[in-house]
Amino acid sequence: MTDDTSPPTAPRTAADVTADSPFTLPGFFAALADGDLLAAVCRDCGAHLIPPRPACYACGGRTLRAESQPLTGDVITYTEVRTPPPALEARAPYTVAIVELDSGARLTGRLTVPHADAAIGMRVRLTTRPPDDDELAMALDNERDWPIHEFDPIAADD
Amino acid sequence: MSEPHVAAVGTSPFGHTDLTGRDLFGAAVVEAFEGLPDPADVVEAVYVGNQSESYERQIMYGTLLAEWAGLRHVPAERVEGCAAAGAMALRHAVEDVRSGRRDAVLACGVEKMTAGGTAGATTALSAAFDRALEGRSGVTAPSQYALLAKRYLHDTEATERDLARIAVKNHANAVANPRAQFRREVDVETVLDSAYVAPPLKLFDCAPITDGAAAVLVTSEDVAATLPGDAVRVAGVGAGTNNIAVAERNLAVVEGAREVTTRAYEAAGVSPADVDVAEVHDAFTVSEALLAEAAGLAPRGRGYESALPPDERAEGWTATRLSTSGGLKARGHPIGATGLAQAVEVYEQLTGTATPDRQVDGATTGLLINEGGVADAVTVAHVLIHD
Repeated sequence: MTDDTSPPTAPRTAADVTADSPFTLPGFFAALADGDLLAAVCRDCGAHLIPPRPACYACGGRTLRAESQPLTGDVITYTEVRTPPPALEARAPYTVAIVELDSGARLTGRLTVPHADAAIGMRVRLTTRPPDDDELAMALDNERDWPIHEFDPIAADD
Repeated sequence: MSEPHVAAVGTSPFGHTDLTGRDLFGAAVVEAFEGLPDPADVVEAVYVGNQSESYERQIMYGTLLAEWAGLRHVPAERVEGCAAAGAMALRHAVEDVRSGRRDAVLACGVEKMTAGGTAGATTALSAAFDRALEGRSGVTAPSQYALLAKRYLHDTEATERDLARIAVKNHANAVANPRAQFRREVDVETVLDSAYVAPPLKLFDCAPITDGAAAVLVTSEDVAATLPGDAVRVAGVGAGTNNIAVAERNLAVVEGAREVTTRAYEAAGVSPADVDVAEVHDAFTVSEALLAEAAGLAPRGRGYESALPPDERAEGWTATRLSTSGGLKARGHPIGATGLAQAVEVYEQLTGTATPDRQVDGATTGLLINEGGVADAVTVAHVLIHD
């Protein structure tokens, strides 16, 4: 729901807090399902916050705008989950990472390579897909339409 | 305004037990009130640190435990902040007394983690993450700390062997602590040979799943003077949050813990060098390293030397003794009770009532750092002084 000329701004009235707003999780995930990763960008200090939220943790400011983020970034740390949540037992082991996007925003997600092939500094791209059955098994009713995000490695020649 | 004092302490045994949460609390209260008037004659309010009802399917722990202590019509409530719940309960009791509102408050914590097995504990602890992006990605408590540990090993000279030494030290400390879950030594090779749970963290880098309870009676100085036994002054408190999601934090420094500990020092009028004993939140070995740095007990990037003899550490370490109880790693980590178990250890150290093998001679100032969520998502720090 982004508009290049007038990006959505953080809610300043109760009426602004709707499931269409990217400053709520339903709105954020609806955009993500369309491949649009939104961060709240603080007008006061420039912090990029994923998912968007109504106030800036870095400076306390409440003037934030939802802006589309680059989907590419670098792995800054990673590990392998060998003792997973019960619903994901058959999926383990799997790799998880914290990625710093090229905009500076950071988020955690699964990395689609074996742990042995991961590295700090690895270039990756965020992708999304609908949840698989095991992921649906651990989803709440209101989360079933939310996409699963993952990071794919970017080959050096990409 | 009245200076709050820890006037009495008690715990249940820590470990895997058939006892339920309320039974464990009963054991802790019986010990705390041994030789004292009945709780009903003293206690004006109760705070209960308790992480999750998903273990025992029981909430209303304030009401339940007040009843189990014989306290009728008192204000009693559960406080929640994952593994910081115990220190939150202590802080509420301390602030009630400091404000003059109450003269005696019972802070207690309880968790029966084994009720749902490993899967139950994994699920319960995973509720402490940011669900939207972290929880739904399938991260777990060990893997969250592993993300921090991986970066710590990348940014510092630390090795997996250095982290293993911290587990070895804390197991060695626990041998002398009758309250500890694991009163046995382990060697570095045992830690290094244990299975990876989430690389670089192995099974022996992780605190265990523990059933347990702890109780601490906080009173005014005047009330403490009427009770048998020694009392310790609560000289300073700090509490504060950090981001809930690990991704958005400074991965090299637990900034929230540093801020909170600094506040507790300032309130108490002490500096890191004054701290004789510290119980830090070593839920994973890397946590002790990070917290030693955050608390100013170790120079930046050198907290991993925690288990080394003082003469082998970098310049800038204090002489503080860390995790004399055995820490979360070996004393045990009954989530909601841990912050109060830390207080029990430091109370015993400062009053000279620790077992001889672990007693730190002449200890007068102690630090407690209790964290909740992943690392310092929330931190509560207390400085205790025995005048």
